Amino acid sequence: MRRLYAVIERDVRKFSRNPVIMVMAVVMPIVYLIILGNSFQGKLKGLPVAVVNQDDGYWGRRLDERLKAVAIGPKTVKLTYMSDQGKAVEGVRDGKFKGAVIIPPDFSRRMALGINPEVGIFVDNTDQISEGALTGALTDAVNSIREVSVPVRPDRTVAQARRVELYRTVDYDQALVPGVVVMAIFIGTMITGVFNLVMDRFLGVDEAILMTPVTKMDIVGGLVVSGFIITMLMATIVYIVSALITGIAVFGSVSRFLGILVVLALTTMGLLSMIFLMLGRANHPRIVGVFQGFMNVIFFFPSGAVYPVEGFPRWLRAFSKVNPEYYAVHALKSIIFKGNPLWAIYGDIVFLVCFLAVMMTLAVVTFKRTL
Amino acid sequence: MPSAVETFDIRKTFGELTAVKDISIQINEGEFFGFLGPNGAGKSTLIRMLTTVLRPTSGTARVGGYDITKEPDEVRRSIGVVTQNMASDLDLTARENMDIFGKFYEVPKKVRQERVAELLERVGLSKKADELAATFSGGMRRRLDIARVLVHKPEILFLDEPTSGLDPQSRRVVWDMLQSFMKDYNMTIFLTTHYMEEAEALCTRVAIIDHGSVIAMGTPDELKSGIPGNDIVILTLSREQENARNLAAAEGYVHKAQLENGDLRCYVNNGSEDAPRLMKLATDAGAEVRAVSIQKLSLEDVFIHYTGRSIREEETKRVSMFLGAGVPAKLGR
Ligand SMILES: Nc1ncnc2c1ncn2[C@@H]1O[C@H](COP(=O)(O)OP(=O)(O)OP(=O)(O)O)[C@@H](O)[C@H]1O
Ligand SMILES: [Mg+2]
Repeated sequence: MRRLYAVIERDVRKFSRNPVIMVMAVVMPIVYLIILGNSFQGKLKGLPVAVVNQDDGYWGRRLDERLKAVAIGPKTVKLTYMSDQGKAVEGVRDGKFKGAVIIPPDFSRRMALGINPEVGIFVDNTDQISEGALTGALTDAVNSIREVSVPVRPDRTVAQARRVELYRTVDYDQALVPGVVVMAIFIGTMITGVFNLVMDRFLGVDEAILMTPVTKMDIVGGLVVSGFIITMLMATIVYIVSALITGIAVFGSVSRFLGILVVLALTTMGLLSMIFLMLGRANHPRIVGVFQGFMNVIFFFPSGAVYPVEGFPRWLRAFSKVNPEYYAVHALKSIIFKGNPLWAIYGDIVFLVCFLAVMMTLAVVTFKRTL
Repeated sequence: MPSAVETFDIRKTFGELTAVKDISIQINEGEFFGFLGPNGAGKSTLIRMLTTVLRPTSGTARVGGYDITKEPDEVRRSIGVVTQNMASDLDLTARENMDIFGKFYEVPKKVRQERVAELLERVGLSKKADELAATFSGGMRRRLDIARVLVHKPEILFLDEPTSGLDPQSRRVVWDMLQSFMKDYNMTIFLTTHYMEEAEALCTRVAIIDHGSVIAMGTPDELKSGIPGNDIVILTLSREQENARNLAAAEGYVHKAQLENGDLRCYVNNGSEDAPRLMKLATDAGAEVRAVSIQKLSLEDVFIHYTGRSIREEETKRVSMFLGAGVPAKLGR
């Protein structure tokens, strides 16, 4: 045991001499949270749109009012009035506008007579997301020009769906917190644990240690435990800060907070063991760097952290079923947002425990205690 | 007397290359044994096998009475190893480096603390004990490397080129340290080097290794008396070196005439007497004599005698290798 402690002590001491890395590893996931939380954030605003109204009749004015309402209300669009239809379309091609609305001179007449009134909507369809939002907003405006704002009395003979909210509403950025914490764990496990072994090997100091009586178990176990200590610390800080930023209750009840820690701990140990298994023979830090970039995406996006797994094709869903981050995110969401106790998510816990056991065993068995 | 190290036809191949070729040597307890050879001779490879981190391709060895492949744990507990790379952790202090190594060997706390303090004192690092090794000079780091593998008082100490890259003064400090530790700790020392002076100054017995094989072995005196003559007259010649060599070799008083790197080396009994004769002979051969020197036989000459090459030729290569610092250790192995 003394040797195992010595491996842990060496590693933790060495890490503590580089506090900058620790700060970076905590700050980065939080910045991710802020950027993801704001860059994917649902509603688009202020899309520049050119309006050419060639109809000075009643319906032309009415449509213009509807467009203005969109620009002022949900602020989806920002309107620029122009007189030249050609210039407006040109502006869309140039990228000055995301779209152009052309109201033809005979619009009011056709509306009044009921003969196919049309409004031209030119959109930049190379940008799917903006185009979707824009087409939606403009079509709504056009479709609603006949509406009068008198509430329709509900028809008592028609069945109504009644929505019951089981939990408090979870905002988009709050929903990201479990994923961000899991990402913090991933980053932590990449810069501790086996990375330090790879670094020793790269610097040629590994052999000096292999020539001492430390055993395989001391080395693998010691590095995993020291990585665990450091990563848990980082992940807990990231969780607390993210919760504070997004307005989630940090602790809730004692059992809720303990439940969160248990999930963090199992995930950390599991990932550390898995990465140890995969990189146990690597001899250059660059290998770890490349691997990290790749694995982060491979594990993070199919984890359900940003988009529900149910939206994945079948093969990707199958991958999620063996992705530890998927279970971690699921478990954390369940505890953080629904206040579920651990036994309610025993499926996740059982998977994480088994994953850890298998990975740790393989890591120790496959580790070669020679150069 | 029991053997501290004994190898039995030990061999290591890396692909096509045989780095260590069936070496069988036997080192007694209490010996200061030197392994002398140029770059790539196989010194580090042999040490790595003896210290259990490389498996021999064939053959085996016993270290401290234990088989290196069957009882590696026992071997590791009996030895201390200073690797060719400076291996102390730069982001730990001297004391932390030593303390952690003491823990690797499960030295009890009280003993460990006392010994760390004593060793720090003896290697002259007491004042720097709580500073990061990153702030140390090369010589200080080397002394720390040595001190940290003595915390558990090994029976056998392996050192792989402990003074390479050190200035002559630091080298001498290390030599003195090694000799006094050996005496006080009752150790057997196995040291590799490519410095002749080092082997001559320290070792009770020397094996000369080249291309993976031992080409000569004995005490420094035995090795020197194994080659003919007492002195070497070295003539630096421009032109007609080959011709001069042939003429010299034909002389009765010249035991051996060798061309090495443009120098004509003549092994004779009495250098000061024979030098003028050899100069005349060279001039007669049409060579121009640039310089003459007379040397007592050294282990260097033993090496040249057996290989026809000087170890120093290789040394220039080594220097350029060191200049390419940042060469990853793995590649340097
Ligand atoms: N891991 C390896 N893979 C392939 N070849 C190797 C390996 N390690 C050593 N060698 C080769 O084996 C030979 C002996 O190397 P070794 O390091 O034992 O020499 P050395 O005597 O220690 O030299 P130096 O004085 O430069 O340290 C060299 O030719 C080297 O290139
Ligand atoms: Mg070497």
